[in-house]
Amino acid sequence: MDLHKLTIREFNAGLKSKKFSAGEATAEFLASIEFYDQEIQAYLEVFKEDALAEGESVDKIIASHDELPLLAGIPMAVKDVILVAGKRCTAASKILEHYYASFDADVVTRLRKQHAVFLGKVNCDEFAMGSSTENSAYQITKNPYDTERVPGGSSGGSAAAVASGMALVSLGSDTGGSIRQPASFCGICGLKPSYGAVSRHGLMALASSLDQIGPLGKCVEDVAIVFDALRGKSEYDSTSADISFSIDNIGKRKLSDYTIGVPKEYFIDGMEREVEEGVRSAIEKFKKAGAKIKEISLPHTRHALSVYYIILPAEASTNLARYDGIRYARRPEAEAAKTLKDIYLNQKSSGYGDEPTRRILLGTFVLSHGYYDAYYAKAQKVRTLIRRDFDEAFQDVDVIIAPVAPSRAFKIGEKIDDPLSLYLEDVFTLPINLAGLPSLALPVKKYSLAERELPVGFQIIGKRYREEDILNLGYQYEMIQFK
Amino acid sequence: MIINKATIDYLAELARIKIKPEKEEKMLRDLERILEYFEELKSVDTEGVEPVTGGTTFVNVFRNNENGAASLSNESAVKSFPHRTADNYNKIPPVFE
Repeated sequence: MDLHKLTIREFNAGLKSKKFSAGEATAEFLASIEFYDQEIQAYLEVFKEDALAEGESVDKIIASHDELPLLAGIPMAVKDVILVAGKRCTAASKILEHYYASFDADVVTRLRKQHAVFLGKVNCDEFAMGSSTENSAYQITKNPYDTERVPGGSSGGSAAAVASGMALVSLGSDTGGSIRQPASFCGICGLKPSYGAVSRHGLMALASSLDQIGPLGKCVEDVAIVFDALRGKSEYDSTSADISFSIDNIGKRKLSDYTIGVPKEYFIDGMEREVEEGVRSAIEKFKKAGAKIKEISLPHTRHALSVYYIILPAEASTNLARYDGIRYARRPEAEAAKTLKDIYLNQKSSGYGDEPTRRILLGTFVLSHGYYDAYYAKAQKVRTLIRRDFDEAFQDVDVIIAPVAPSRAFKIGEKIDDPLSLYLEDVFTLPINLAGLPSLALPVKKYSLAERELPVGFQIIGKRYREEDILNLGYQYEMIQFK
Repeated sequence: MIINKATIDYLAELARIKIKPEKEEKMLRDLERILEYFEELKSVDTEGVEPVTGGTTFVNVFRNNENGAASLSNESAVKSFPHRTADNYNKIPPVFE
């Protein structure tokens, strides 16, 4: 039935008009997974029975003529750092190979209220550390546009699943670009909400001052609908907030009302020609449609990489300390240990891959006595300057448009031996996390898997809590495309 | 040379992590390269700049001081303990030898 081609609204309408049942839809997506995932390898675990049962309960709601929520029956994939109660949650690491989640993440609870269907957990870089999903301890996920290339990371599984029709929407997490970059590499849309717009309760924490959960989907409207369902102040996340947002405002405010900032520091030597051309053509389309374009400067952009890769490992080394084999699953190597210290050492050395180990050591270093001031304290001060750059720019512009990554999807294995070269992939995305701003990644044009042209994406960055602005602009960009 | 093998050994001790011997050399080289990259931060003037202290500027986010329902049942919270006593305590080797 090609249900993966439908938008959320079309899917909902199809269910209501009985074109297909939720049970049939779920079965179709499960069949797609069985067929395509042999190659793509996006899924770590498929919840076959549970998904079919969830589909059936949606059909009961339809039969009883009760109100059918917009997300009812929508087949979704969940990044394996987000807890789904009773299900394994591994963070794509061996250290949690046998850990089963003891509660639903807040976002999962909210989606369950609307009777969404959870197809399974998808692959990512280990503990969301990475930009290619190659750091997963379990499997390599392929880019559906070219299976010799990476889908991006760390939410590579989330992006690949949607791009190849193995889920209608998916959940990912973005700490330094991990939703936006894979969305761009796979030709789909992805939203990193403002810090605090979506609760982090039930997200395995990587960097607590940077993480956000967000939706990935085929079109901006789908991403907006899922965001609307996820957002909100949660009792269990004291950094979360209710924001002013109405889904009905998406598509309303005219493009000519907006002033779009284009930061000159984001167009650098060494960018792939196709990426620069793609992003500039997108800006041109906004200009033709009546938006005002203004060149701006974000002078501290070039320091963002250092700032990020000091702060993230510091926070991550703290957050990852808990997987010491005491409270959560203990590895057999740690089981054999006789002392507490040996449990910790064996658990972590047998459980953590190279990238988490590297970042834990880096984090420990920058926080340690004698180095704290020169590294961590310094980075947090420069972070203030990065934030100020954005605050000042936003006095003159409403949104900022920028590239997402310096290149399109690179080949599997190309960068994995040089951690620094992978970190450089994030230069355009991580400043936004440092500033806590929302950003929507979307493709510069519609791509088709059949043509195998490698996708180029761009991002629309908004003021804090102004997801309405960026989603509105993204939605209208898609309208312009089809003129 | 910002760091050397002794530094890595010390960091590993602090983080309670053990690096496999065959990975030590690459780990040292990778970390060295990354830390060298950070040298560029020295050029930024941060005189009088306050550091960021978290993701938000919220303060004093409290819950009501009432006897609310448990957010997580005791049973689900202790399920992943590797070794559990009959009364749901986590059984571990002695902290002090």
